Amino acid sequence: MKKSDTRRKEVFQIALPLCMSYIPIGLACGVLLHAAGFNFLMTALVSLLVFSGGAQFMIASMLTIHAPMQTILLMLLFLEMRYALLGSSLSQYVRGTSKKFLLIFAASMNDENYAVNYLKFATDKTWTPQNALSVEHLSLLFWTVSNLIGSLAGGFISVNLTIVDYALTALFIYMIVMQIKNRLTILISIVSGVFAVLSMAWLKSTMGLVVATLIASLIGFALEDYLVKKGKNKAFLLKKIKPNAGRKEISKSGE
Amino acid sequence: MSVTTNMDHFILILLSMLVAFVPRYFPMKIFASREIPKWFNEWMKYVPVSLFTALVVKDVFMNTETYEFIGFDSVAKIIASVIVMAVSYYSRSMGLAVVVGLIAVACLSLVVPI
Repeated sequence: MKKSDTRRKEVFQIALPLCMSYIPIGLACGVLLHAAGFNFLMTALVSLLVFSGGAQFMIASMLTIHAPMQTILLMLLFLEMRYALLGSSLSQYVRGTSKKFLLIFAASMNDENYAVNYLKFATDKTWTPQNALSVEHLSLLFWTVSNLIGSLAGGFISVNLTIVDYALTALFIYMIVMQIKNRLTILISIVSGVFAVLSMAWLKSTMGLVVATLIASLIGFALEDYLVKKGKNKAFLLKKIKPNAGRKEISKSGE
Repeated sequence: MSVTTNMDHFILILLSMLVAFVPRYFPMKIFASREIPKWFNEWMKYVPVSLFTALVVKDVFMNTETYEFIGFDSVAKIIASVIVMAVSYYSRSMGLAVVVGLIAVACLSLVVPI
């Protein structure tokens, strides 16, 4: 009994910084969802069922520009595809859990609680799938409550939505910075930016984002493959950038 | 299909849940019992960074209604983005990066075009 209590406290302490960082982002997201026409109940549902900051901001901003449903869903699919990678890298640690557990665990996984749990699993042998699920649920709680408060506040105060919308851009910039491991990643980021401008100006739609993502990620894949096959592991482009061997590694390959 | 009523929102949420759930669940389930193909991992490594950059570029350098390139017109967002990059790199804190970004863009929008 005593032991499980201290464990619960430890789980809470580990989840706390993450939960705190959800408050401002969740508030901004709630305000935007309100502006996009989501009522209180819908905001609660989207936070609980989709539980992805990026996806929810995306839904809100696509609705305000009156994008059709299929475009929104296609963009979401691309946005959420990264979870395939996150999920498969966690899979080794949730071996032997029940089907039901895996369903619940997968449904409430997102970038940030993944990062916390991946690090804990990798460094703490006593970290259990159940502890990891508690971290997910704590972050889900903070996220949903912040969204709901934002949704309510959006009804009373008027804010400049262009400014609130920038929260999403700041969030993505943060995630880009966290993923930069070598110069090749920076190069691919620039390539993707250039293709995004060209393909969006050409297609006159957000499909341009999909095109840019596919082209840039395939170039990155091909370039790395080429450099590794040539035996240039230590080449200029693949040289690791030091301060970033940190907690937001999303891939284990090559480590 | 445009999305306007509560019912439309509800359908959108259910479909979004599906779209969010499939990539989170199936790879985790499948690879709990077998190895991840290397090419898949190598390719997926570059998907997030490419997509995030494309999204940032859309917000900062594009007009989202006409999809025209607006160059360096939104000075406030460009300066704020440089600040967010620096804060992310040195603090590695998501919350701080977003809050500083919002404050920066709000203050800058008072003096330069957003």
